[in-house]
Amino acid sequence: MFNFLRNKTITTLAVLVCLGMLIGFAQNRGLETGKSFFVQDAISSILAPIESAAHAVFGVGGWLKRVLRPTSSILKENARLREQVRSLQMDNARLREAAFENLSLRKALGLKQISPLKMTAAEVISHSESSWFDTATLNCGSRKGVEKGSAVFNHLGLIGQIVDIDPFTAQMVSLTDLDSAVGGTVQRSRCSGIVRGQGSEYLVLTYLPKDADVIANDIVVSSGMGKVIPKGLPIGRVVRVIRDTGGVTTSALIAPSVRFEQVETVFIAGIGQSAAQ
Amino acid sequence: MIRYIWPTICLFLAAGIQGNLPISISIFGAMPDLVLVVLIAYALAQDPEFGVTLGFIAGLIHGCSVGLTVGSFIATRAITGFIAGLVSTRLFSENAIVPTFSVLWLTAVCGGLFQLFNPRLELSKVLGVLAGQCILNAIFTFLLYLAIRQFDNRRKNKLVNARL
Repeated sequence: MFNFLRNKTITTLAVLVCLGMLIGFAQNRGLETGKSFFVQDAISSILAPIESAAHAVFGVGGWLKRVLRPTSSILKENARLREQVRSLQMDNARLREAAFENLSLRKALGLKQISPLKMTAAEVISHSESSWFDTATLNCGSRKGVEKGSAVFNHLGLIGQIVDIDPFTAQMVSLTDLDSAVGGTVQRSRCSGIVRGQGSEYLVLTYLPKDADVIANDIVVSSGMGKVIPKGLPIGRVVRVIRDTGGVTTSALIAPSVRFEQVETVFIAGIGQSAAQ
Repeated sequence: MIRYIWPTICLFLAAGIQGNLPISISIFGAMPDLVLVVLIAYALAQDPEFGVTLGFIAGLIHGCSVGLTVGSFIATRAITGFIAGLVSTRLFSENAIVPTFSVLWLTAVCGGLFQLFNPRLELSKVLGVLAGQCILNAIFTFLLYLAIRQFDNRRKNKLVNARL
């Protein structure tokens, strides 16, 4: 009955699949406990220079595209950006005033002072290695003080979290990935819920109360609950509110403020920073 | 052992390039899986045992580059390598359609197995991504095959000229 087991190839297949399962189990344990998995570290160390080289080669195309642009489009963009700078300068002055007032009020009330975010700049050297996951490789790792679970963001908002690190690189998972979840707050009404990835271009804000004050175009920011992701980082804008008539919760579909596949440079925040910048 | 060195180097190169492919070439949200293309291409030309071992290596490299579910990557690639090794294309080596079609259906098998090991997305989304990946992998294989054949023909011509 078990004659097929005598076949060397079948035995090799069974042994290697079992070994693969064991490696997968060890890697999952490593992810849960926060310890590095040496096999993955070794392979990532070999892959990092290849990915960096490929990134540089493929980057030439983008650079050429920028360099060979017609002058008229550059002038048009320049005029638009000047206008944007003027508008942002006004916003900045207003926000500085508000920040100063906030500081004075916090002092008067005896609240803990807001500390500036400690962050590390990194470059995305590889992304979307598989169609089934929204992950990316960053060019800095534990040697630069990156920790597992750290928030990854850029000037537009929160992008994801670090899931794995080795000495030279770090793996991040995007907010859009199916396994991703962070605490989110509607900026206008302060309603809090959980922002989950759906494996598509949209996120969903779940576990909002049934009568939650949330409408389309509301901005959703990180809630800072759990003190892993810093508070106040923009996550996205509400596209549609889904009110479950029979249930007890409301959810909202969110368009992320950052398009994961277009990200090139990011910042990694240190863990345990609870205050918004 | 020596026969695994070049394929392993090719797998590392494929994994390095994989993450830097322009997003504009995606179909239904799927990107081509170059690591899988290299695995199947090598396994098709060799025996099942070679396919299994190379599948294990491919899964390990691809899983580590993604950083998640390494076990699912290893198991599915090892099985795909085994099936690809069973399919003999030596008789049809002059025909580019055979490896292209083999990659098409083996990508579907590998993707299906991956979803069994690691179910994540809705069925409609899975089918869309699988269809996109199958098409892209087949196109890449076809182009790769033509390039290899061109290179091979030139090498043969040079040899013939040298003999003359």
